[in-house]
Amino acid sequence: MSRLDRTRTSAHQLRPFFSSQNLLNRADGSAQFDFGESSVMCSVVGPAEVKLRDEKLDKATIEVVVRPLVGLPGIKDKAREQAIRETLEPLILSGLHPRTGIQIVIQTMKDDGSILATAFNATILALLDAGIPLKSILGAVTCIVDAETNQILLDPTTQELANAKSTHTFVFDNKSSITSDSKQEDKEAVEVATLYSDSTGLFSEEEYFECAQICYKAVQAVHGFIRTAVQKKLEKEQQQIHS
Amino acid sequence: MATPAFTFTPSTFQKLHPAEFFRRFTTEGVRPDGRLLDAFRPTTVHHGVISTANSSAMVRIGGTTVVCGVKAEVAEPKLDAPDQGYLVPNVELSPMCSSKFRPGPPSEQAQAVSEAINRVLKESKVLDLKDLCIEEGKAVWVLYVDAVCVAYDGNIFDAALAAIMAALKNVRIRKPTYQEGTIKVSGGSTATDENSFTLNLARAPLSATFAIFDTTLTILADPNVTEESISDGQISITLDETGLLCGVTKIGAASCSQSVMRDCVQSAKKRTLQLRAIMSQQ
Repeated sequence: MSRLDRTRTSAHQLRPFFSSQNLLNRADGSAQFDFGESSVMCSVVGPAEVKLRDEKLDKATIEVVVRPLVGLPGIKDKAREQAIRETLEPLILSGLHPRTGIQIVIQTMKDDGSILATAFNATILALLDAGIPLKSILGAVTCIVDAETNQILLDPTTQELANAKSTHTFVFDNKSSITSDSKQEDKEAVEVATLYSDSTGLFSEEEYFECAQICYKAVQAVHGFIRTAVQKKLEKEQQQIHS
Repeated sequence: MATPAFTFTPSTFQKLHPAEFFRRFTTEGVRPDGRLLDAFRPTTVHHGVISTANSSAMVRIGGTTVVCGVKAEVAEPKLDAPDQGYLVPNVELSPMCSSKFRPGPPSEQAQAVSEAINRVLKESKVLDLKDLCIEEGKAVWVLYVDAVCVAYDGNIFDAALAAIMAALKNVRIRKPTYQEGTIKVSGGSTATDENSFTLNLARAPLSATFAIFDTTLTILADPNVTEESISDGQISITLDETGLLCGVTKIGAASCSQSVMRDCVQSAKKRTLQLRAIMSQQ
């Protein structure tokens, strides 16, 4: 039952998280998030001026730019831009800043698999750092179904992704956990609500829903980490003000 | 004195409050075009519409029409896969199909749809790319799969994927002949079973797309362009002939529960069966 990634012993183990906030001094908010050796940095500028043709009368215009690790942006990056923007649209309280723009730039720093999930997590931390009003936070994680063992492996590395029969990225907000608490008596599988889901490869319906369940449980750890990271940042800022 | 009430004609109301206009229909379980919430538009598939291509197909889903042509060319293989050919799918959304697309480089939507189709073809292993090898490390077949939208009325992903799969099923490629170290592909006489070969597709994935409308998360099957513009999100389910899933995407709108996803998968299974019947009839 050993994974190709020797640093982890369990199939359901995530790589160590790392995050850093307020790294860029020219952006309103910035953050870096790491899943092990995968690292993505995100910068947020907004609410700021927006071109007249992109202006929305009642909401802020959200623009996402994804820059790859190497080379010029391609269709893969455009698809990621669409995914991240569409997922953030219902979360950002854009009605509070009409006729403005929020520009989010995402740069892959290191790639060892699960880049989209890493990008989602870096983006939400950057949005929190910028003080953009949000309805809830989100957390993302990737899992694969291994081609040989048919096991579900969480947070795959590039090496593990190459051996995948199917790859699944899930994003959950932290509001669906409230409804699950009320179902504690019901020991059946918790009804998880997905904010964003993207699965490719060959898989059965049961595999898909099982992956959703496993990823949902793992994302609780990501939510907890985001909360702790923001808490620590605020404590440090308080100390600096009082010292 | 009673203040006069404002009354609008339905078309004016639709322009002023598009989402509210739509809500009046969805609460009754129908849509303005008369369809039930889970109904797909009439679909037709035509094969061999472009005689100069290796294969072609035209798919109409309601008002959305996509024409797909497949062209096979000889090229050098990619460095990391010297014994494999490759597919280059491309979905084109130009001002020809709708005024919402401006001339210039491909829009984000066109690129995102092209990438989505590229991933389905690659990761569901539709084709064994080793079949496209002519001479390892020197020459392979590259298939340029171009899906051009000629009329846009929503749901480009389903129409483009169906057109691409219909075209790929009938690809006929001339067998190359070797003359003094160069590869020659004759264009002359008609392609027959001796001088050409067809592709061996492992599977033919087809999709069903649904729009997510309103805070009630009402699911609308096969959205047209108006429904797409007022919807917040989209769910796409791609299945192969055996019922295996080849792709599940849920993007935009608030969180959707598992039961919503399950219903979409069931609806997609019925729809893709229907679509396969239509494709094999023509």
